Amino acid sequence: MRENGRGLGRHPQLLVLIREVRGQALEKRFVIFALFGLLSSALLRPIVCDAKEPLISAYADGKERVCLDCHRSPNINTNEGVINSRAICMECHSKSECNKDIGTQQVSLQLGKNSFGKTPHRYVACVQCHRDLARLPHESEAGAQCLSCHVVHGEKEIHDPHLRVRCQACHRVSKYVVLDHKSNEVRLSHFDENGTVVSLTNHSLPDVKNKEFCLRCHFKGNRVGAAAAVLPSKSVICMLCHTSPISIGHKLFWIPLLLLVLGVLSLILFWFKGNVEGEKDSLHRKIALASEKIWQKIFSREIFTLFSVFFLDVILQRRLLQESVRRWGLHSLIYLSIVLRFSLSVFTLVVFNLWPHSSWAMALINKDTAFVAFTYDLLGLFIIIGVCWAAISRLITKPPHVISEMQDNLALVIIGLLVVFGFILEGARILITQIPGGIAWYSFIGFPLSRLLSDFGFDWPYIYQFIWYAHAFVGAALIAYLPFGKMKHVISTPLNLMISYKDE
Amino acid sequence: MPQTSNAQESYMRFPVIHRFLHLVVMLGFIGLAITGFSLKFSSQGWAKAVVLILGGAGRTASVHKTLAVVTYLCVVAHILWLIYYKAILKGQLTGPQSMFPRVKDLRDLIDHIKYFFGKGPLPKFERFTYLEKFDYLALLFGMNTMGMTGMVLWSPEFFTRVLPGYFINLAQILHVYEAMMAVALKFVVHTFSTHLRPENFPIDKSIFNGRMSKERMIRDHAGEWERIGQTSTTPSSD
Repeated sequence: MRENGRGLGRHPQLLVLIREVRGQALEKRFVIFALFGLLSSALLRPIVCDAKEPLISAYADGKERVCLDCHRSPNINTNEGVINSRAICMECHSKSECNKDIGTQQVSLQLGKNSFGKTPHRYVACVQCHRDLARLPHESEAGAQCLSCHVVHGEKEIHDPHLRVRCQACHRVSKYVVLDHKSNEVRLSHFDENGTVVSLTNHSLPDVKNKEFCLRCHFKGNRVGAAAAVLPSKSVICMLCHTSPISIGHKLFWIPLLLLVLGVLSLILFWFKGNVEGEKDSLHRKIALASEKIWQKIFSREIFTLFSVFFLDVILQRRLLQESVRRWGLHSLIYLSIVLRFSLSVFTLVVFNLWPHSSWAMALINKDTAFVAFTYDLLGLFIIIGVCWAAISRLITKPPHVISEMQDNLALVIIGLLVVFGFILEGARILITQIPGGIAWYSFIGFPLSRLLSDFGFDWPYIYQFIWYAHAFVGAALIAYLPFGKMKHVISTPLNLMISYKDE
Repeated sequence: MPQTSNAQESYMRFPVIHRFLHLVVMLGFIGLAITGFSLKFSSQGWAKAVVLILGGAGRTASVHKTLAVVTYLCVVAHILWLIYYKAILKGQLTGPQSMFPRVKDLRDLIDHIKYFFGKGPLPKFERFTYLEKFDYLALLFGMNTMGMTGMVLWSPEFFTRVLPGYFINLAQILHVYEAMMAVALKFVVHTFSTHLRPENFPIDKSIFNGRMSKERMIRDHAGEWERIGQTSTTPSSD
């Protein structure tokens, strides 16, 4: 092939053709050659265009253009294609007279050699990103398509409210941003604060390690619906109720995580204080015997029984239901709601990591999608009802089986506060990000709450950060409290059920 | 050190931690081989099929890296266990019941070959035969070279701050050939020498359930069998 190709090196199209024809049967080659001849004679005609005034002149370098000079769809995944394709764009966009009228003002669309700085995009064809520009009218509707190559940020760096922030608002050097109410998007503005047109031709990217561009939106008195301060991302401990990244995040979250780990360890050590299979002293022997037992259970048919015990007794709380439907209802309102929220966040994490481009992933990480907004609000409401019900039965009606202790009340207060702060936070978010009612009303608690909050006339973008930290603090307290006090049952009861299922 | 279980006349050969690590390393190694070779021989049809199932070359690479981390964590866990075994359980890392190579292994090898030709009895193997020691040590050292070269390939920018550029090429070559050698060793030699031999066919369950029957102990680990009979009060290894 190489020997054959050497002479033809200057004509890559011909090479491709030869390569394609090689495998075909002899008769087919004639058909293809004939078709190719017909096609090229049809296309290689002088310019005949419906546009009244052609955008580019009919002559280039003294030669008359043919349609295929431009409309030949080069393979922009090759260097040759990139250079050819860019040459067409730069024919106009390298000239100083390349301007655009915006209202009464003119803005330059000229691209210089330094317009791309050192970004990798300097090796990419213009139409790779500006996908809908190679046509008439020469005006983009969708804008540059970053997401055709890149993936949206997950929860780690840029949490969900940023889904409606266009990539360029942060990843470009121009610092003027605007909230476009028509498309409900935050994007780069064509005007600076004085209303003068700014050129957006600089394609270089700001340093992402330096988070200065966050301050384009996040300052007191901003008009794009951003909180007045840059808030940290969620932590892995938020996974209990929210889609979160698998990272610890803000320093605040180290403490509950550490307490959780230490608490669980001390619980395990406490269990191993008793005797295991007759062994009383050596911790090593106890662990060896216990792990042997677990290993044998996992690799035997009993594992299926364990699965059913886990599903029926741990998840669905069969035993509590047998005891009292009322108590099961109360407990499930809190417990099952949290289990469902946790499952949803794990599911979202998996879907987003495996198929980040999919519509499912995009819908699930977006808090304003109908399903997500409704489900989260409904489950939050269930938790509140459960907490209120429990509080009433503990403090007012006091049925005989309830022994109200300080610990129990503390657990209820923590969960109740967490959800109340959560709802206020949601209301404030909907209020300050100015999400249109048509989208936001699926949050059937958050949205009315946001209308209510708007009557108070506080500086909500400023207050938002305090509510956020309050919610995060209570959430951290809940996680830290898990292995202690009342909440210990979250860890010990399932284990007890799994170990002692044979007693039935 | 094995302990008797009177019910089935079987002996505890591997404690749970060894079974667990073997299982994870086994699955991780198979996964690493599949993803790694799919990337290396990406022009092959089967490789394309694997990459298609996993969702692209990028995803295949991240699966490979994840599995590598998991598998190497097992090596770390094993080394920590060795330290624990030596320091806290006061066990011995050398000696007849250990994985440490001894002169007897060479003698066993010669005797074993003689046995194959009917020129002598089956040698009295200790707790680990020379074949098992070879498998174990090859994996222990192989994992470290694979880990080191793999890390160089994972973040070449970082390592070339210190190392010259040709180390990347070296790492590439070493990683590939070491991988082929390891796969050949594990999927052919190890599989045949432990699982597919007539005594154990089709699978040697002792690494999965931790137990070995009395008959097999007497036949395959006669040296150890005699030693347990003599000194039943030596410290337990599990």
